[in-house]
Amino acid sequence: MAILNPTTVTVDAILTTKGRELLARNDGSFQITQFALADDEIDYTLYNPLHPSGSAFYGEAIENTPVLEAFPNESQIMRYKLVTLPRGTSKLPVINIGYNSISLRQGASLTITPQTLNYLGSTSTFEANGYIATIADSRLVSTFSGTGITVTSPGITGLNTTTGTVLSLSQVGTSFTLTGTTINTLFGSSLSTLTTTITVIGRDSGARVTIPLSIQKVANY
Amino acid sequence: MSFSRYAPEDSVISSETVVRGLWSSDSNVLYPASTYTSSYTEYYLDVYNGNSTSAGSSVQFSIQYGNISGSGSANINASAVGKTPSRIVYGEYRNLVYGTEAVDFSFNSDVTSSKDIFVINVARSRYKESLLPGSFNLTLLTGSAGVSSSLKLIDDSLTTNLTRYIGENKVYYLIQSGSVNTTKYYGMLFPDLNIAVLNATAGSSGSISPFIAPLATTYATGNNHLKLFTSIVSGSGGSYPTSGSVNGFYLQSSETVSSRYFFTRVKNSEFNYTTNPSIIDDNGNLLYTSLINNPQTYVTTVGMYNDNNELLAVSKLSRPLTKDFTKEALIRIKLDY
Repeated sequence: MAILNPTTVTVDAILTTKGRELLARNDGSFQITQFALADDEIDYTLYNPLHPSGSAFYGEAIENTPVLEAFPNESQIMRYKLVTLPRGTSKLPVINIGYNSISLRQGASLTITPQTLNYLGSTSTFEANGYIATIADSRLVSTFSGTGITVTSPGITGLNTTTGTVLSLSQVGTSFTLTGTTINTLFGSSLSTLTTTITVIGRDSGARVTIPLSIQKVANY
Repeated sequence: MSFSRYAPEDSVISSETVVRGLWSSDSNVLYPASTYTSSYTEYYLDVYNGNSTSAGSSVQFSIQYGNISGSGSANINASAVGKTPSRIVYGEYRNLVYGTEAVDFSFNSDVTSSKDIFVINVARSRYKESLLPGSFNLTLLTGSAGVSSSLKLIDDSLTTNLTRYIGENKVYYLIQSGSVNTTKYYGMLFPDLNIAVLNATAGSSGSISPFIAPLATTYATGNNHLKLFTSIVSGSGGSYPTSGSVNGFYLQSSETVSSRYFFTRVKNSEFNYTTNPSIIDDNGNLLYTSLINNPQTYVTTVGMYNDNNELLAVSKLSRPLTKDFTKEALIRIKLDY
């Protein structure tokens, strides 16, 4: 007879900024109904299928990764979600927005329509619940909108904050239109290009992609 | 396919009573406030867990002295005789406890009222929610000749089945000697008001005056609160102690913490793939062919969402949890409010 090792893991949770906001409203909007798992800290290139000690040790380096404490900013955590896919899947969902980088002149507009590759048996598909697109520094765009999906809140409040002002801007949709800023003062006296990033996340697949976004200065503005 | 819903039975609410020692870091040394600062006035004396002028020390409790006639402290305005700090303190606590100026403090049946009181008022940051009945344990020391060298006081919550009330909702317990003499009471403990009121009227039954003789000269500064502190830490009296052992004063706080538990059940067929970019190449192909039929992921974070996919709470595991098609996990998440 031996004593079984209990396998239930008990952990403490913290509220995110959004969670505290909804809890403070006290209007019933704080309702936890679902969960997701993530592995933000894990570097899978440490997986070693050539480990001399055998398959039980392939993930040895990963299993020893120290886990960081939770961040209350919901935009800084749960970045890489675990997903449920059929066994034997060899290609994982990736987001394709048609550009490796975006460069816009001041005042110029562009519409992007993300697609998800390798998802639900299709080589390319549009996710039913659309996508979340986030511009890290929203000052660089004069307009940024998403169409095709109706939601009450995009669920992301900002990647960067300074003195209480949210700099990032998130939209939900199946396509997104952005227009480069027409404010010249952002460039200062010497810059001709301003750069930031745009991140697109599939709301169903959890796949994400981040590409650089640059705005070119135009003399007329 | 990155979200899984909680079933109604996956969430339970639990309320637990958390009891803690009252003093910061279970400190066993007390320090009075520096002489005559904002923490040491004729109204009260703050008592710290460290030197009051040092960073990191905090107020543990305050000692106050009240006299129904205003004796033992000086007039706050010479033209308004009798309005002294001790009179103000007495009236303040009388109103708090009885809610009327028509009743004076009374602890025993052999006196109609107690004219002198000492009050121990515990700092808000220490008592959390309330004082724990049964944990009050105060030993007074004295250097006076002709009296016992010490008096140990406890509350009677452990020896009585009665819940006593003043008014409709002020629960109190009587303070008695450690030998459980049920005919002599030295004060009252109010767990929800977080104060202890001690009888200091000389000559009355249950008075602590033989151990601490408050100076009750009319409208003259008596520093009586300092006398009680001295009695708690040393019993030497007279001189102003810079610190003293707290060995004779124990008390505990009681706090009800409501927690919600979420049982996060991860089935064997779920969450075996990841969107982590380090596991795929630019086209989405897995970097390792051995992961195609036997995928492995390493859970580090559990995110809790509402129906709008808004992240409301998050928890981290202490180490990565291996997940594959042969493993299931049950993660119990505790969320405190």
